[in-house]
Amino acid sequence: MSGPILILQAGNSVVTDLGRTRGPRFGLPVNGASDQYSARAANILAGNPDHHPLVEITALDFRMKATTDILIAVTGAPLTLTVGGRPCSQWEPVSVRAGESVTIRGIHSGLRAYLAIHGSIEAETLLGSCAPDTVVGFGLQLKEGISLRARRSVGPVRQPYFDLPLFRLGLERPSMGSELLVDVTDGPDVAEFGESGELLFTSEYAVSDRSNHIGLRLGGELPERTSSGEVLSRGVPVGAVEVPSREELLVLHRGRGVTAGYPVLAVVTSTGLDVLAQARPGDKVRFRKTTVAEATAAHRRSRAQLETLRESVNTVFGLLGIGCRPQWQDLPVAACS
Amino acid sequence: MSLLAAAPTEIYESGDSALRVVAISEASEHNWLTVHGLADWLENCGAEGLCGAVPTYDSVLVEFDPILVSARQVRAFVTLGLLELGHAGESARAPREFDVPVVYGGEYGPDLERVAEHQGISVGEVIRLHTAKTYTVRCLGAPAGSPMMDGPAFPKPVPRLKDPRLSVPAGAVAVAGRQAVIAPAVAPGGWCVIGQTPMSVLNIRREPLVPYKPGDILRFRQIRTEDFGQYAGLELEPLDVASEDVDFVESGARP
Repeated sequence: MSGPILILQAGNSVVTDLGRTRGPRFGLPVNGASDQYSARAANILAGNPDHHPLVEITALDFRMKATTDILIAVTGAPLTLTVGGRPCSQWEPVSVRAGESVTIRGIHSGLRAYLAIHGSIEAETLLGSCAPDTVVGFGLQLKEGISLRARRSVGPVRQPYFDLPLFRLGLERPSMGSELLVDVTDGPDVAEFGESGELLFTSEYAVSDRSNHIGLRLGGELPERTSSGEVLSRGVPVGAVEVPSREELLVLHRGRGVTAGYPVLAVVTSTGLDVLAQARPGDKVRFRKTTVAEATAAHRRSRAQLETLRESVNTVFGLLGIGCRPQWQDLPVAACS
Repeated sequence: MSLLAAAPTEIYESGDSALRVVAISEASEHNWLTVHGLADWLENCGAEGLCGAVPTYDSVLVEFDPILVSARQVRAFVTLGLLELGHAGESARAPREFDVPVVYGGEYGPDLERVAEHQGISVGEVIRLHTAKTYTVRCLGAPAGSPMMDGPAFPKPVPRLKDPRLSVPAGAVAVAGRQAVIAPAVAPGGWCVIGQTPMSVLNIRREPLVPYKPGDILRFRQIRTEDFGQYAGLELEPLDVASEDVDFVESGARP
């Protein structure tokens, strides 16, 4: 058990995980980290299981203070990370000493960052997940003055000479910018759009500021449904591309309601959803058609990179005597107080 | 729910992590039994990589983890499940019944008059048709496990609102197309709200979070506006369970 971690500036941050996979059966969206790759990477870099709770920080600055030594990792959108005033690397494990502040500032390209703490954060669960669900009113939205609790403390690990960064694990970082290319496969109702469905691949779309974790609204040339009539509610996949109105395209993300009555033109791939998770209002989106087989292959390649990372982390942490479970020892209770 | 043989189906790709299975027989009841039977079978078959199934009226969305299982393998599971349905002799679960008090119209049902006008019938007739029917919960939908039901015997389908509301209160009783629903939680919505129940439907401290399941039966009952407060905050519970509770308390079997 480690001492509390005090939230000094919450910005727009929540405690989440990879999502409520049991939810859809009960009418609840899966939710969870919007950028799943970055969230997994953060937990792996912190020596945690992938699905453990971590902090998702959206757009705004964030600051917290450790009261015991901890080990963290920050991934996702590019930002300025400082620990105790020292600049630190994203996408690497970072040691934080008791009393030091962790500051995250200046998220400018990309939207969401992930902060994992070794030992993971304690959080309440609903159907097996701590992911916030704004509709049913569940979840931990961080506020100034709240304290988080990690399950373990980690002695400081620091390069003794010049305080150089200790880790160079070399994970491929997703590229982020204001022009996004998003892979989609044909949706189950593509035929209902006739030839106008092709517009999706020839037009450029602008991300509206009414976008959120439930769905992104995109302005641009809209495919039009050729059939009409009310459709019975059906289960819709995360990533569904719909045209509910004349104004905007709607791309459903992980907070989507599980059923809807609009035809599904296309479905964003798993890797494409991570790209969209980092889209900021005003960013430009182009869609590229792919197949389920290719999308699955791309998704598996990206996961294989994370598996390689996990092996490196386990090796390095093992050599340093931190992190890996077999070598790990919880601090005696006295050390926590 | 019991089923002799699965209805014929079509399977559609729905991205790299889901398939949509649609039952296409002429009989909507058969289609519904098929997709719910399949969802239950998939839920219990223990296949690695299957995340869950979202059955509705005539379709079921089967979600899977493409790292662990391929879309082709999931298709094979679906085919097997559909075959098994005919043999399993599905255990019929006795439906439970729910009584739902509703205040119609006014601030509780802002679209009641609009619906009456569109249907070309009186407000009283809309209420009469809505309360006349016994509703089977067809599926749990968005938001928050809403009970999705076949709508009342209105002359025409009810069009959705042109401008969906940003916020519809919990307990809203709404209709759209040929469907009817209660909103368990506050959420945006494009359905026509004709009334509101004071009963509390969703409880996230309890599992399942909503008291009904597909196959259960709901009846709506009109109450007076001034009686809204009398029910407010009470949890919606099945009728027979309420009477069992009394028995348990009397015999001291339950604290």
